[in-house]
Amino acid sequence: MELLCIGLSHKTAPLELRERLALTPAQQAEILDAVACGPQEALVVSTCNRVELYVAAPSLDEAAAQVRAALSGIGGPEAASHLYEHRGEAALVHLFRVSASLDSMVVGEPQILGQMKDAFELARAAGGARGELSRACAAAFGSAKRVRSETAIGRSSVSMASAAVSLATKIFGGLAGKAVLLVGAGEMAELAGRHLASAGASRIVVSNRTHSRAEELAAGIGGVARPFEALHEELVHADVVVCSTASPTPLFTKDSVAAVLKPRRHRPLFMVDLAVPRDIAPEVNSLDGVYAYDVDDIDKVIAEGSAARSAEASKAEVIIAEEVARYARARSVREGVPVLAQLRQRAEQIARAEVAKTLGALGEALTDKQRKSVEAMAQAIVNKLLHEPTARLRAVPQDGVNRLAGAAAELFGLEAGEAVSPPALDARLPKTGTQT
Amino acid sequence: MIPLFSSIAFHAYALGAALYLICLVRPKEALAWLARGAIAVGLLLHGAALCSQFAGQGGAPLGMAQGFSTVGFLLLVIFLFVDLRYRLPALGAFLSPLALGVLFPGLLLAGGSQVLPDAVRRPLLPIHIAIALLGIAALAVAAGVAGIYLLMEREVKGKKFGLLFARLPSLQVLDDLNRRLVLAGFLALSITLLTGVFFTGTQMFWHWGSREIATLAAWALFGGLLNARIFAGWQGRRVALLTVAGFCVVMVSFFSSYDLTRLGGLR
Repeated sequence: MELLCIGLSHKTAPLELRERLALTPAQQAEILDAVACGPQEALVVSTCNRVELYVAAPSLDEAAAQVRAALSGIGGPEAASHLYEHRGEAALVHLFRVSASLDSMVVGEPQILGQMKDAFELARAAGGARGELSRACAAAFGSAKRVRSETAIGRSSVSMASAAVSLATKIFGGLAGKAVLLVGAGEMAELAGRHLASAGASRIVVSNRTHSRAEELAAGIGGVARPFEALHEELVHADVVVCSTASPTPLFTKDSVAAVLKPRRHRPLFMVDLAVPRDIAPEVNSLDGVYAYDVDDIDKVIAEGSAARSAEASKAEVIIAEEVARYARARSVREGVPVLAQLRQRAEQIARAEVAKTLGALGEALTDKQRKSVEAMAQAIVNKLLHEPTARLRAVPQDGVNRLAGAAAELFGLEAGEAVSPPALDARLPKTGTQT
Repeated sequence: MIPLFSSIAFHAYALGAALYLICLVRPKEALAWLARGAIAVGLLLHGAALCSQFAGQGGAPLGMAQGFSTVGFLLLVIFLFVDLRYRLPALGAFLSPLALGVLFPGLLLAGGSQVLPDAVRRPLLPIHIAIALLGIAALAVAAGVAGIYLLMEREVKGKKFGLLFARLPSLQVLDDLNRRLVLAGFLALSITLLTGVFFTGTQMFWHWGSREIATLAAWALFGGLLNARIFAGWQGRRVALLTVAGFCVVMVSFFSSYDLTRLGGLR
């Protein structure tokens, strides 16, 4: 089983394309169903910044074609040119880096691990992640936790929210006395709300389709909840709007925002859209005195101040490299052991067959003792012959890749099968129930 | 003495402008203070030169050369005040070169001492001219700030995040500054018009020349702008654009106050 990763992210694809490929849970289940068939395993990751498919399959070419077809089917033909593909160890490294938030738009942002775990749970429930994938995920999540606890990457992370605050400062000079409208009441809204409040925003209004959730968040950050229907009235009072809903269509169009400019008395309006698909139509930015930023724009701001985090990020990269090597080593042991068992089995089979043939040909001419000697000799030849290969197959080389296992399987015409025994690695699994 | 002072002042201004520009690229508190110091030294020398010049000619600047020189002087006075008050050295990178641009023609035009004709010699005239030039300088700074606003607005709107985005003050600060400067300029313009009308009421003849029309037009424009700000909440980009437009009209008024065919003379 080899690992494959095909997908696109904020690094390779424009927002328009990511919007089209923002998969609904139903679409994810559909893809899982289609790809995770037979011996193949699959995992679908869909966040605002990335859509990725991880597949563990015996034949990667076939699986890759299947995944590309599925993604192009949803994202349109132009999606193909934005897809990246990693195979084998590169795919493993990518999985680890994504989980540890090293590939995130905001390096070190904490949400991605939760999103990866959710994706894994979905795949597991659908039967998509069983052996190889579930072990790889468990190891990736474990190393993500290690990165979090051993580096300051999360603490020093310049989040989307704080980037939004620094942008607001460029428009308003400061947030003191400014009114904030949070549309959506998820994790992003909460983060943004806390940042804006600590930057001095005087009034925070939360509006969410599910009103109870808005009330909850408002209570948590010292704001007020307003019904979702009153969204456009609230827009009249707001200076900063942060959107993060899962709405498939924009909540704010050019016309709907233009309508409030006069009642707002042309005060500048700063709108941040952290949602994919977007909650604010891109044309809104063309209105006089309205500054609408989407996730890609915010990304550009973050890129400005990312140098400070690079030291922690390179520490994290070292941890990831260690963890990937450790995982690969453990996998080699797992894969090496069945080859060994099969090899021995095969040799013993041959020895037994040859002994039976020889003894059959000699007939009753041999005494029991002589028979035993022939059998012992055959076994001894097998043992002597296999002694060195056994020792070598068991020893895992420094770089962690057990090339001998594959070579032995190839040489002796064996099939590298799945591990039977649970590897020691599983002892370090996070608590999300990723045990297989 | 006067040419020497003026020349040193001009060089001090140039040094200040260069320091402000360096400060824009590599912001350092010490550099900003050096720049302010250079401008202040220039202002002292320039001010001394202007005073001794005016003392010999009835207390008012005469001719276009002195007009340019005085406007440049007042512009830098206003700018330095703004910079000391709000600590906005980034503005210096734009406004001090602008002041140099105003001063340069003043240096080129021969501005020797002149004597005010008796026909127009009356106590209010120096005040009329001084306030007119102060208003022009305030509106010049306002137009400069409006230009900076437009630059910054383009960065914020276009999401460019370049050097200017990092260094320029926030849109709100620039807009506030624009409001104060336009208000000051408008008041000065109003007083200029009133004192001007006073002259016409006595001896000098008011006629609808380009100077009067341009000044009235500028006054109406800035008056309308302030009204739109106060009563309709106008701000930002359109106000900045109108400020620049209004300043162009003020410049027409300034040039037409001097007889262009006879450089250096008061009409």
